[in-house]
Amino acid sequence: MAAVAAAVVTPTRMELLRLRRRVGLAQRGHDLLREKMDALVIEFFEVLRRIRDARVGALKQLSVAYRALSTCSAAMGTIETQQASKEARHELEVEVSARYIMGIAVPTLEVEKVERSALARGYSLHTTSSLLDEASREFEKALGLLVELAELEESARAIARELEKTKRRVNALEYLVIPRLKATLKFIMMRLDEMERENFLRLKRIKAMLEARA
Amino acid sequence: MNIDRVLKFELARLNVHLPEQRISLRDALSSKRPGVKVRDGGIHAFKRGELDFLAKTIPEVDWGRLYLPILIALDPKLGRGAARITGEAEARAISQILGKKGKEELLIYRPEVAIIRRKLPTTTQYFFVPG
Amino acid sequence: MSYKVAVIGDIDTATGFALAGVSYTYVHADKDGTLAKLAEFMASEEIGLVLITHPIAEELGAEFRQVMRLKKLLPVILRIPDKTGYMPKVDELYELIKRAVGAEIVVRAEEG
Repeated sequence: MAAVAAAVVTPTRMELLRLRRRVGLAQRGHDLLREKMDALVIEFFEVLRRIRDARVGALKQLSVAYRALSTCSAAMGTIETQQASKEARHELEVEVSARYIMGIAVPTLEVEKVERSALARGYSLHTTSSLLDEASREFEKALGLLVELAELEESARAIARELEKTKRRVNALEYLVIPRLKATLKFIMMRLDEMERENFLRLKRIKAMLEARA
Repeated sequence: MNIDRVLKFELARLNVHLPEQRISLRDALSSKRPGVKVRDGGIHAFKRGELDFLAKTIPEVDWGRLYLPILIALDPKLGRGAARITGEAEARAISQILGKKGKEELLIYRPEVAIIRRKLPTTTQYFFVPG
Repeated sequence: MSYKVAVIGDIDTATGFALAGVSYTYVHADKDGTLAKLAEFMASEEIGLVLITHPIAEELGAEFRQVMRLKKLLPVILRIPDKTGYMPKVDELYELIKRAVGAEIVVRAEEG
């Protein structure tokens, strides 16, 4: 796409200087934003790599947990298992804090020590079996891994959003703004040259006229 | 032109994640919730695992000299893909981690930046050099 | 700051996570009911994480995707498999990569 110089521009030295400064600024801005874009790409791929690993672990543990639950239900009875889950203590908490990756805040999630003893879990001991403890333990483990995964996926989304935005800015500067500014610059320089030449020729003619008269 | 305003806004945002004041590794290690206050008002938390790793990596005499977060300076003048680690203690620590011969002003390249960011995601930050 | 966890799933998912100590569980019955519950969880100042199973998220369709798009920082939403282990054909993360970085890089990411 050919860059078209701005239609309304006064070809003066002043304008030339201003434009040169703007080109410099835009170029500097472009280079900085491109560094940011490159850094975001590093961060993005790193978090994706960690997600890939975290998913494998979390999904494996989750399926172990579901199996333990169905074993427990088969032995204890489904209703009894569900009843025990209602009696269990439901006060699990995640600690949320922020960390910053360049201009964006991403949440960090940390489960407070998930794995609890049977007593701490809360369901009445005399009606339950060790299979219930097993299921509880496996789900607690799964939850720990899922919390880590949640943090990573959320970070990935935040980074992706910022990356897209930054990429758009870099491209706008590189393919639209800077070429346009440079074209205008060229136009002004050409016009200034032209005007200087016209001026020079005019002075020559005047000089010749004056010399002819003399 | 609209782009000028956007550009100015984006450039102002570049380093907004940096703290008003950095803290030394020693102070961070002894803090219950190690972290720094960030320019936009929030708190950036350091992960304890990273602090312990740094403590193991550098001699104890440097704990008071190394300031966190360690800054990975990105300056377009250095060329795309190059970064600078400023600060003596910081440069020594990073050199140690990368297995390089340490110098005061350390220049590292993209793959090394990736390694450092992987090992120290909360105790390092990018710094965009304006100017 | 400390937050509670909520789970939206079938009866087994809810039971399992209740045993693990999760504060709020909801068993999915119909689309409207679950959307309402999800809205409730999202509005709660107490809840920091919502787990929802893939099949249910898929059933909730466009409304769920909109919640994901428009939500604030918290609560974090994570989709998890239920006991069938079903995973949707389209991986949201994969789509994210393509959009953020470009298709050619995706190929490299798969190899790497």
